[in-house]
Amino acid sequence: MNENLHQRAQRLLAESLVEGIAAPDQIWLGQHLRDCADCAREAAATQELLQALRGVPVAVPRDLVARTQLRVRLRAQEADESSRSGLLLWVITAASWLLGVLSAPLVWRAFAWFGGQFGVPRLALVMGFVLWWTVPALIAAAAVLYQRGVAQGFASHRLPRESKTRR
Amino acid sequence: MTDDKQTIALGLRRRDPDVLDQLIEQYQQRLYRYLLFLTGNPALAEDFFQETWIRVLERGEQYNAKSKFESWLFAIARNLVIDASRRKKFASLEDFADPETQQPFEPPDLHATSALQMLLARENQQAVQISLLKIPAYYREVLLLRFHEELGLEEIAAVLAAPVSTVKSRLYRGLAALKSVLTEGAA
Repeated sequence: MNENLHQRAQRLLAESLVEGIAAPDQIWLGQHLRDCADCAREAAATQELLQALRGVPVAVPRDLVARTQLRVRLRAQEADESSRSGLLLWVITAASWLLGVLSAPLVWRAFAWFGGQFGVPRLALVMGFVLWWTVPALIAAAAVLYQRGVAQGFASHRLPRESKTRR
Repeated sequence: MTDDKQTIALGLRRRDPDVLDQLIEQYQQRLYRYLLFLTGNPALAEDFFQETWIRVLERGEQYNAKSKFESWLFAIARNLVIDASRRKKFASLEDFADPETQQPFEPPDLHATSALQMLLARENQQAVQISLLKIPAYYREVLLLRFHEELGLEEIAAVLAAPVSTVKSRLYRGLAALKSVLTEGAA
């Protein structure tokens, strides 16, 4: 039996474990393993190795599941609360924007009256009006971004190391 | 099976705590074992275990029920470990297990039929455990997914976000590396 046959047997043996081999190759390999003691030993050793690999025991720490379930439930609650408060913030922002649009003519009249009474230049009045409009929107956007940042920061930074402190 | 996946996907979309409790219970062994193989460190595996389920809660709507749930779960766990390694906790996946300092996994509760079989099996398994810690984590990982979890090559490729050819090559090399380390240990 020449070296190439052994090499083929080794290759097929590895392939049969990783990706499977065709029926004719299986037949050939079976025949070769019956005839060649060295390759048969190698095949048996590989099977034993896989058996041992499959049998590697891993004991999950006793209360890990309970602790994880508790943390997941708490996080779910926090996420729900955060999502509710986020929704509320959006509703308030939308209502404020709507109110702003509806009241714009009145506000402009008030600015015009104020300018007339105190002789404020028109440019200052326009800038004041723009600020009247943009400042609340900017505050609302900042509040939303802050809330989102807090929620994400909480999710990614607070959780990982808790279990270590318990050990 | 498809119904199972659909039920899981629906529960995750709703962030249903009961579904999550059940999944944590059901996949505890497999996920912990995967993390332990990946990190080679029980304390880290425990941390990543909890973090993985938090991530499942937060990203549950991304599970589309097309793939196996465990593949998706392992991919999440793997990404967390890689993210942690990038945040300079470890230099690379290979550094997860230091064969000089890490202990092998916890001793088993064997149910062998005789004391001799128990002893032999235990010795063999312990040799494999120790050898596993001596091979690179990316080999250890594919060996676990293929021969322990019995995932298909495409499923492993999905977990690793790598081509099937890479998975195959890691499996071949991983098997060879494990055999070689075991042989060295026995000599």
